[in-house]
Amino acid sequence: MLRRRKHSLIDMKLAGTMIVLITSAAQAQTALEIAEKAQQRTRSQTEHYEGALQVIDSKKKVTEKRWTFDRIGSHGNSKTILRFTAPAEVKGVALLIVNHPDRASDQWMWTPALERDRRVALQDRSSRFFGTDFSFEDLEERDVSQYDYKLLGDDAAGGAACWKLESRPKQTKSSQYSSSQLWIRKDNYVVVRIDNARKDKLVRRIEYSNVENVQNIWTPEKLEVTDFARNSRTVLTIDGLRYNTPMKDSDFSVEALRRSP
Amino acid sequence: MRNLREMGPGLHSGAIHSPIRPATRAVFLALVCSAACAQDFTQRGYIETQLSAFPQTAPDDSSNFVGNAIFRWDLSYKLAPWLTFSGGIEAQTDTHLETERTFHLDWQDRGLLRPALDLRSFKTTIHKSHFTADLGKQFIRWGTADILNPTDVFAPRDYLTVVDNDFLGVLGARAVVEGGGYSVDMVVTRFTPSRMPLLNERWTVLPPDLTQPVENAATHYPGGAQYGARVKHVARAFEASASFFEGYNNVPLVGSPSPALPPGGSNGSLPSPVIYVERFYPKIRMYGADAAIPLQWFTLKMEAAYFQGRAMQDLAAPRSDDYLLYVTQLERQVGEWTFVGGYAGQAVAQSRGALDFDPQRGLTRAFLGRIGYNIDSRRSIAFEGAERQNGAGTWLRAEYSYLMGSHWRATAEAVVIAGDSTDFLGQYHRNSNFILKIRYSF
Repeated sequence: MLRRRKHSLIDMKLAGTMIVLITSAAQAQTALEIAEKAQQRTRSQTEHYEGALQVIDSKKKVTEKRWTFDRIGSHGNSKTILRFTAPAEVKGVALLIVNHPDRASDQWMWTPALERDRRVALQDRSSRFFGTDFSFEDLEERDVSQYDYKLLGDDAAGGAACWKLESRPKQTKSSQYSSSQLWIRKDNYVVVRIDNARKDKLVRRIEYSNVENVQNIWTPEKLEVTDFARNSRTVLTIDGLRYNTPMKDSDFSVEALRRSP
Repeated sequence: MRNLREMGPGLHSGAIHSPIRPATRAVFLALVCSAACAQDFTQRGYIETQLSAFPQTAPDDSSNFVGNAIFRWDLSYKLAPWLTFSGGIEAQTDTHLETERTFHLDWQDRGLLRPALDLRSFKTTIHKSHFTADLGKQFIRWGTADILNPTDVFAPRDYLTVVDNDFLGVLGARAVVEGGGYSVDMVVTRFTPSRMPLLNERWTVLPPDLTQPVENAATHYPGGAQYGARVKHVARAFEASASFFEGYNNVPLVGSPSPALPPGGSNGSLPSPVIYVERFYPKIRMYGADAAIPLQWFTLKMEAAYFQGRAMQDLAAPRSDDYLLYVTQLERQVGEWTFVGGYAGQAVAQSRGALDFDPQRGLTRAFLGRIGYNIDSRRSIAFEGAERQNGAGTWLRAEYSYLMGSHWRATAEAVVIAGDSTDFLGQYHRNSNFILKIRYSF
């Protein structure tokens, strides 16, 4: 009887351990699935919008900028051109981002006053993009497969129930961030908040709001980026968003940067 | 006051001096019409006033202050997805008589002075798939380095203020084919010279023992076309290109075949007490290469060009040296800091002894660098410098810039130049200056 009971205890311990392991495995898979599904639901062939940016510095001074955003392709296999349209002195400055499925993007910046393009090196991607609180890396669009995910649990963000995930880049040298925490809404799989950390210290937060259904894609039309090191933030408001309008691949090249108005 | 001997008969300026000409009016009408009816119309420009203060006077220039004002307007109109018209005009004036006082529209940029009204660029861009062609007056930039660009042969400059120069457009055709990580750039242009410092002001330093006045005589502009090609490859770990150019150096060799006589001969008359200077633009061939390699800490950029002096049809014309210019540069951006620095070198394979004025060559055998810092979204500071390896010349520049609102920017600069009179940089040691600029961008 005593022996049998001991066995039971061992069995129970073993069973408990197995349950924990199975649950962990299930959670890890679920985290990736959630991330994949969130990505899948935003898939489109092309995207165009006009962005209005307000940069609010640590002294609450506001600087306004505008850009146009064009993307062809989707998630890790896409090309993007961001072109400033205001203020006047940066009008025409453009950034080409070529995203790759298995590594960090390639980026080139075009400065019309110099008539020159310049490749933005990987080690320079943590720099702010033209006075905004976006870093060059924040403007990339990486595939979920470039990260390891962990489900941290349930949480609320942006007034909605969310899954809270942690992601870590598989190629650690390819990112300025050592880890990120993501809040993904349970009702529509929209990412509503990303906390980016460097060596476990929160450095930049991106919050997504004004979620609208545009051509069957739930899309946040307002982004707020907070740079904790500089104590400044940038609010991006999206206007004129259109998905799947015809675009040509040849309009997303270094030569296209030079050709553009 | 400056002696304005240079403003005499503009021998080859190509200028027809008249009030606002019909061509000018037509261009304005076209621009206004474009602006009014445009769907894909974009424009940008600025108005800038600048005041420069020189604490020291120069032997041929007693002015301590120079003021100038410039208006620049660039327009672009996309008529169809494959067809774009673009152009830019510039109007300027100054207190130092470096700008022409007649208000004609200049499109050739061949005058000794800056034109008061300049058609900076006008071009038609045709784009189909991976092919792009630009036809007209345009800016063509080659090379990858920032501190000096030996391969940038289609980019003449306005060197009236030698250390603060601007690019001039060139008239020609450019075709680019790209695909698969490669691009081929083919260019044919009409020759456009760089604008040289005026003979009688502070950016031309004449030998101190020269007692006779110096005046411009003939300027020999080459007649034929010049052409070049550049192949560029963009790979994951690097970018590299090779280039070739056959044409003319846009900075001149200086000759004085009959120094004591006026051009055209003397017919036995007494020697003139004036030294006349002729400018020859030597025929050259250039083989170039450049590369950018992102490394773990820095981006390494290298650029080199070998220039071969070619014989001119006019055998009396001086011939350029054969020489190699090369640049090695490191750059890094960290947070709000930008660092660019490197070395520019020169190796002369064959010297032919011709007297030249070539700021590109003049800035070689030197260490050059720039450090920039964005204080916040409105304010920035920058420091630039060049130091000759033998210590004979130094150029330092500090800049503070402040953005006011969305349109106004104020910039204050201090430039220090020091060195020996025999050095390209050092010869301008009397030209240290302070600059204040106010710009309104639109």
